[in-house]
Amino acid sequence: MIDNIIIDGMSFALPLFVMAIGGIYSERSGITNLALEGLQGFGAFTGALVAYCLMRSMGAGSSVPYWMALIFAMIGGAVYSLLHVTLCIKFKANQVISGVVINILAVALTTFMTKTINKKVFGAPSDKFDLGVSARITIPGLSKIPVIGAFFKSVYPFEFVIIIIAIIAWYFLYKTTFGLRLRACGDNPHAVDAAGGDVAKIRALAVCVSGALSGLAGICFAYSISAKFSGDIYMGYGYLAIAGYIFGNWNLLPSLAACLIFGFARSGGYQLVQALGMPSAYSDLVMILPYVLTLFLLIFLSKNNQAPKALGETYDKSKR
Amino acid sequence: MTEDYIIEMRNVTKRFPGIVANDDVTIKVRKGEIYALLGENGAGKSTLMSMLFGMYEPDEGEIWVRGKKEEIKSPSYATRLNIGMVHQHFKLVSNYTIAENIILGVEPKKKAFGLFPYVDIKTANEKIRSLSEKYGLEVDPEKVISDVNVSTRQRVEILKMLYREAEILIFDEPTAVLTPQEIDSLLQIIKNLRDGGKTIILITHKLEEIKQVADRCAILRRGKLIDVRDVEGMDTREMANLMVGRQVQMKVEKKPAVFGKEILNIKDLRVKNDDDFEVVKGVSFNIHAGEIFAIAGVSGNGQTDIADAIAGLLPVSSGKIIVDGTDVTDMSVRKRTEAGISYIPEDRHSVGLVLDFDLKDNLALRRYYKEPFAKKGVLDPKSFEDYGTKLIDKYDVRCARGNTTIVRSMSGGNQQKAIIGREIEQDAPLTIFVQPTRGLDIGAIENIHRQIVEERDKGKAVLLISLELDEIMALADTIGVIYNGQLGKIAPAAEFTTSEVGEYMMGVKHHD
Amino acid sequence: MTDQNKTRIRVAILSVLLSLLAGAVVILILGKNPLTAYFNLLQGCGLLPKGKYGGGKSMITDLSSYIDFLTPMVFAALSYAVAMRAGLFNIGISGQMLTAGFIASITIGYSTLAAPIAKPLVLIIGIIAGMLVGSLIGFLKERFNINEVVSSIMINYIVRYVISFFIQTKYVDPVSRQSKNICDSARLTLHQIKLGGYKYDIPLGFVLAIIAVIAVKFMFDRTVLGYELHAVGSNKVAAKYAGIRTGRSLIVSMAISGALAGIAGVTYYLGYFASIQPKVLVSTGYDAIAVGLLGNNDPVGILVASFLIEIIQNGSAYMSSQSGLESEIASVITGLILLFSACNAFFLEKLAQKKAEESRKKGAKA
Repeated sequence: MIDNIIIDGMSFALPLFVMAIGGIYSERSGITNLALEGLQGFGAFTGALVAYCLMRSMGAGSSVPYWMALIFAMIGGAVYSLLHVTLCIKFKANQVISGVVINILAVALTTFMTKTINKKVFGAPSDKFDLGVSARITIPGLSKIPVIGAFFKSVYPFEFVIIIIAIIAWYFLYKTTFGLRLRACGDNPHAVDAAGGDVAKIRALAVCVSGALSGLAGICFAYSISAKFSGDIYMGYGYLAIAGYIFGNWNLLPSLAACLIFGFARSGGYQLVQALGMPSAYSDLVMILPYVLTLFLLIFLSKNNQAPKALGETYDKSKR
Repeated sequence: MTEDYIIEMRNVTKRFPGIVANDDVTIKVRKGEIYALLGENGAGKSTLMSMLFGMYEPDEGEIWVRGKKEEIKSPSYATRLNIGMVHQHFKLVSNYTIAENIILGVEPKKKAFGLFPYVDIKTANEKIRSLSEKYGLEVDPEKVISDVNVSTRQRVEILKMLYREAEILIFDEPTAVLTPQEIDSLLQIIKNLRDGGKTIILITHKLEEIKQVADRCAILRRGKLIDVRDVEGMDTREMANLMVGRQVQMKVEKKPAVFGKEILNIKDLRVKNDDDFEVVKGVSFNIHAGEIFAIAGVSGNGQTDIADAIAGLLPVSSGKIIVDGTDVTDMSVRKRTEAGISYIPEDRHSVGLVLDFDLKDNLALRRYYKEPFAKKGVLDPKSFEDYGTKLIDKYDVRCARGNTTIVRSMSGGNQQKAIIGREIEQDAPLTIFVQPTRGLDIGAIENIHRQIVEERDKGKAVLLISLELDEIMALADTIGVIYNGQLGKIAPAAEFTTSEVGEYMMGVKHHD
Repeated sequence: MTDQNKTRIRVAILSVLLSLLAGAVVILILGKNPLTAYFNLLQGCGLLPKGKYGGGKSMITDLSSYIDFLTPMVFAALSYAVAMRAGLFNIGISGQMLTAGFIASITIGYSTLAAPIAKPLVLIIGIIAGMLVGSLIGFLKERFNINEVVSSIMINYIVRYVISFFIQTKYVDPVSRQSKNICDSARLTLHQIKLGGYKYDIPLGFVLAIIAVIAVKFMFDRTVLGYELHAVGSNKVAAKYAGIRTGRSLIVSMAISGALAGIAGVTYYLGYFASIQPKVLVSTGYDAIAVGLLGNNDPVGILVASFLIEIIQNGSAYMSSQSGLESEIASVITGLILLFSACNAFFLEKLAQKKAEESRKKGAKA
């Protein structure tokens, strides 16, 4: 049972974490990003579409569709995030409104396109792209260690991808000139401008990173929890990721801890329902655990947290 | 023979919606001199220099650097031309160390495992230490900006330029935030820099500083260049007249004070700011009717927090505030207002006004809920209009559309007139003025000073908090000097000299 | 009307036209005639006559059903506007609607009370339920500094799962898989009433909606409360300086916003519908944001905007059946309207700048 809690918990927590990393990039650069939910959905849609097309030509056995799905989900998320970039930077829209608008549009666009493509292209009316569940890997040796071994058992391949990306993201954010300038943008964009950095460009790039990473998270959910792409992808995980990095105080490692708590709360609840042999309706109740936990954690942590200083402010060179 | 100029701005014009910030201005700066730009607020000094630093582009005219015509499109291009600028509002990242701030944009890099480039903060720290020693600019590169004081931050800004090997250094109102002693040391640094071969352009409206350090001085008025003079042998009064275009009254006319009963009594006041940091540490004083009590001090020593605590915007952690016999320490803002406090806050944009409201709604901000403005929760638009019209007329608030002018679109001077009018109309026994003349031109300043004295003569108690020592010396009947959250000496204004106040402000001299 | 308002209306109309144009391009790409499709939308709402009608139906039947559909939206958009007035973004409207609808259903909807008692009770319970959820969000914001968007979304999901748990375990109708239908006496829409040979849905709530529009307009423009909410929404610090208890204002605005969402909920779940689909949050709460943005947060503007948006939403089913386009196109067009409306501020500023420039030039010439 503990094994299952760890296995399921990790496979939920890591996509959440990678999405939170994207949010941290965006918000540390000074752009409020409530659009994560829509970005992950749109990314999942593009990834799933590509995989679905490839699966039809290559057969279900090939792993190519899977990897292409991951790549195209990132591309799709990044492209769709350009909308947030345009609204927030070019059109100086209210960033909260922009984020919500993008989420609403994502739901509308992806469900409309899924239905239309299924009907027009594949000739089979349906509101989803079936993907199946990703294959799992068990690392021999390591997985035999008691308790901790579960971290190496039945691991989805995307979890390794996420861990690698997280390390790269950490390195870029905290160690490189790009990261230094990005984080400066979120505190005092005028300083970056005066130092010769291009605030708009840095922020645009940061939002695109959040788009790509959210897209990746979206396709991971599609390949694990739902085994398909459909409107069900919009489960509010984007907002959970936001809550995650708010606890993490906009830093990577503490955010990982928060995401792990969400993951284990969720998988622990499921295991409990199963162990007690309760009917399936009760799993609905378990579904609320991460959300309730989020609210409670926010109650205890929100007050002391320090958001990036320039977060949410439209940067206008001429205003000082 | 043409002289050898390092900077030439020829016939430069810059327009913003509604105003011409620079109108056909030509200035020529020699290498190795301290060139001052003198003018009132809004005369166009900062705009002119912002163009030289690439933050704006001129609409007309040319900029020549070292005898070559340049189009300076960005600050980074200006940096490549070895031009640096210390802005009036520092451009520093508060959660970064001093070194990180200095290297931002020109980061030294190293490669880990010969492959992964990373920012080499160690080398940066060392280089900054040696630079700071060379020019006598003492800083610790590993300290975080939010933990250091204003003058250190200014030194960081100067080091930023030097780190980028700037040859032409622009200072925009560098002394506005400093104590007299800090000003002296800054001016010394500026001289050192010139003697080290740098060219300096100093933007200021303080005549004394120009007298002390500048070689030549260009005078701007309403966007136009009035004159360029050698500073040596020039008279400050003459400079002042050129600057404002008329005879200036340097002193405020004021009758001797007649103190009445005690209006404000502060006992051992302690206040913590939002970060739970004690900023006011046991302050006691009292103000009588007919008295102007001024708190002098360098920015950030707790003086605005005292004002906010009296007005109820910041909670008091201990101590007592008694206004006109009523203990208001634990009262709501509304109750305090009614107990007799008028408050002209430091920040008119984010505290004193609702910028998106129109003028009449702002003028009624303190009394909208009372009759005749509201009856049983329902507003009476007519009362708002009548009251607005009355105040606009009485306090000479200039606005495009009268009552319905959106306050955001008004000039700073007129916004301040509206606030002062509104607060004076409260007819409260105590009026608090915090930085009432900041950013205003001399005409407006004179007007406000007159109003403050009038309030006193009407028998009000006035608490004046200002960073401008001249303002305090001209107006105050009693002065208290604040340093590090504590009032040092409190004494009648006549017992202080300006430099003495300065020493208390610095914490050099302590209360005996 | 001031120049500013005229410009605002112009910009709003422009964003609708742009969205319809963008939608038309999509429809063209799918090989359909956009004009016919838009024509179908109007027909579906009873604003234009259809080619033929089924038994007992007429254009007025469609119109009455459209008004019935529109009623919750007016309340929901007003709910958004009241919160926005105080600077809060109530994205939890759908959750508040569901809570109100569910509680009213199980308390009154399944009771045997007579209509004159049941209907007002449904309304009151809806208001209270919505108000409680709304104030909770306001309280969390004020007391614990929790971003209202995040907390509303969390509450949305919690409410959705908890209520679906109760529906599935206690109130489910085994055939429809939805909650059991409420009794007609508690329903706020007089459903399928026969008049002169045709059937109509008469939404009692619509009268209330018109009253609510006027009441909110009055509250915004002419009351101390409206002045205070606006001050808090525009500048919280200045509002505090003015002696306004800002925390209380936030909670009050969320309470009113929640109450309006509650009415939206009961007019939806116990009016337009008579049952609740488990695990689903209606899109009305999100579309309300589009309506609010488009109507520039002005109650009258909102009424006009909700007429417009609901034509697209309500007419889409008929359009879909006639043209074979997926009905989700309606949401796409609504989303586009949202997108363009979000840029309104930018265009308004540009226009204002242009005007200032022109007047300056004129001044220079004179």
